[in-house]
Amino acid sequence: MDVSNILATHAAKFQSVTVEKDTPLEIDAGLLLASDPNPIEEETYKENLEDHLQSLARDGAQALISALFSLPTKQSPHGPLAILPRPVFQLPRAKPLPKPKPQTKWEKFAAAKGIQHKVRDKKIWDEEKQDWVNRWGRNGKNREVEEQWIHEVPLNADVDYDPRKVARDERKERIAKNEKKHQQNIARSGTASRDERKSEIEKTLATTRISTASMGKFDKRLEGEKKVRGVKRKCHYSQNLKLSQFDPNEASVESEKKASLDLLSKMDSDKNKMRREPRTEEGDLNVRKAVKFASKGRGGIALGREMSGGRGRGGGRGRGGRGGRGRS
Amino acid sequence: MLRTIKPKNARSKRVLDARQPKEVEDPRTAIFVKGTHTGDVLNNVMRELMALKRPNAIAFNKKNAIHPFDEASTSIASLEFWANKNDASMFVFGQTTKKRPHGLTFVRMFDGKVLDMAEVGVEKWVGMADFKTPKSTPGHKPLMHFASELFDTHPRFTQLKSMLIDFFNGEEIESICLPGIEHVISVSCGPTPAALNNATAIAYASRPKPGANGANGGSAEETANFPKVHIRTYTLNLLSSGTRIPRVELTPMGPALDLVLRRHQPADAELLRQAMRRPKLKKADVEQGLGKKRKNQEVDEMGDLRGRVHVGKQDLGKLQTRKMKGLKAGGDAMDVDSDEAGRDGMDGDGGEEDAGEDSDGFGANPRKKRRSKA
Repeated sequence: MDVSNILATHAAKFQSVTVEKDTPLEIDAGLLLASDPNPIEEETYKENLEDHLQSLARDGAQALISALFSLPTKQSPHGPLAILPRPVFQLPRAKPLPKPKPQTKWEKFAAAKGIQHKVRDKKIWDEEKQDWVNRWGRNGKNREVEEQWIHEVPLNADVDYDPRKVARDERKERIAKNEKKHQQNIARSGTASRDERKSEIEKTLATTRISTASMGKFDKRLEGEKKVRGVKRKCHYSQNLKLSQFDPNEASVESEKKASLDLLSKMDSDKNKMRREPRTEEGDLNVRKAVKFASKGRGGIALGREMSGGRGRGGGRGRGGRGGRGRS
Repeated sequence: MLRTIKPKNARSKRVLDARQPKEVEDPRTAIFVKGTHTGDVLNNVMRELMALKRPNAIAFNKKNAIHPFDEASTSIASLEFWANKNDASMFVFGQTTKKRPHGLTFVRMFDGKVLDMAEVGVEKWVGMADFKTPKSTPGHKPLMHFASELFDTHPRFTQLKSMLIDFFNGEEIESICLPGIEHVISVSCGPTPAALNNATAIAYASRPKPGANGANGGSAEETANFPKVHIRTYTLNLLSSGTRIPRVELTPMGPALDLVLRRHQPADAELLRQAMRRPKLKKADVEQGLGKKRKNQEVDEMGDLRGRVHVGKQDLGKLQTRKMKGLKAGGDAMDVDSDEAGRDGMDGDGGEEDAGEDSDGFGANPRKKRRSKA
């Protein structure tokens, strides 16, 4: 039996779908990329550019399609899905790699103890109602005690004992505790180092210590508490007073006058530091809008010209729009 | 710099979360920016490129006086601002001047900073509308094809290749719907001039970079002899070939661009190193054999998987040497004799044994082998 005929037809079938090149094409199926490392032939390039490019592209596309169609597939409603390998060609990322989420104190403890994470259902079974109710939230089970219509009061309870309030306080306390733990976890995971946080706390403490009327002078000193350094009171009455002393209640007329004048000159020098006057009734008028309305959008100068009578140099001076040079 | 926003509701939180870095990234969003002067050519070319890039494309309609290569400080700052504001990591900037007509600059960002830039000039273009042929569906992934050895050897062309792949097709996907493959983008070069053969290209790559910031790399003399780059897009016709693999025919779809390389700015080495970091592979991937090099396994030229097995160190102390009656522990001499007689009878069997099977010469029955060799 002669099978050469069959073999020849079989080979011919594959001939149309295989690509023969000096150097085989590099196929990166993960990126749907075919690279042809063969040098460009000058004759065909010069002879007919478009045909040359199209034949090159056909070879590349054919090689890539062959590679893609021989990949393992899975079915989908839209047709077969080829499962792609990972890309070989490395492209730079657009954003840095995500940072791993820092573990909370509980997660660390659970990992050390080997405690498995359990997902708590939001619903919980209520025996009395014979129904699933929310664990928290609307009609939550956690408010069951404080919302029931009758309460048991212990025998030795005070007169103003409010069982409702007690239950509610207990719940609120749990929430506050959880929030505190949450904040501590955030502080622990934060980028700020221990030293940074320490200096931050010390700064806050120093501020609070000098925030009394006597700037902490008559405060009770705790044991082991250091003296706050670098705190100076402003003393502009006279230079011969010691800085640690307070200003006297009675001062000479000259020094008082000088202080007031200093203050005034300071206020004059920087208008931004001045406290603005509260708006009066007239202040509610938006002058810019009013002028725009009265002049029908032509501006104050045009209005003034009109009032003084006679049209100046032609009215067509543009509409006062600000030259738009925005971004997009 | 943009202020950091704390989300006030769930929707804005979702949006901000979507902007956070991911292990497997989304495709790059490209912003199309017009310079102070863009002619008809550039406007059309940018529109065509945008049609290919959709839906990951944003167009800026107003003109912007930025010059990414010239006055680096403020221009780069605006690019970075736009990138952060729009959550985009790529720019296509069009600017035409007398000195550099129809210039398109591709800018790639990493972590809100400019990674690298490449400028090309549009020599010739044909739009999609000029080909009266079927078009691909917007949003479908294209196949990419690069033809020329320059794209592997020359640093300028490698950068362009990487840039274009990132622009058209930079997304890492797990699977692709085979009937959904509709078009191919082919990038090809003119014939390589003799001045750009492999040796000089390597020398070019290793030469010291001109300028402190490398922004003016690639002056006119250097790019003058670079071959043109031809970008063509074709739609695919998959014809049945009688096999599982279809035969491919191409129809020009447009746009078709002829480009020349101009200025470029290579990526900062440190920034590039950070950008090239890969995520650690998942356990499932490692089990599949991805990532980690599989030791002692290789695929030979025939496509067969070959493995090497370590068999431990040979203990020569236990090697069976020539037996002598005098050395044996006495008493069982008769047994040995009868055993040898039995072996003699199996001589023909031993002759068929492959001599190479037990190359270290000490296997199950070394005596048998010696016989067969003799």
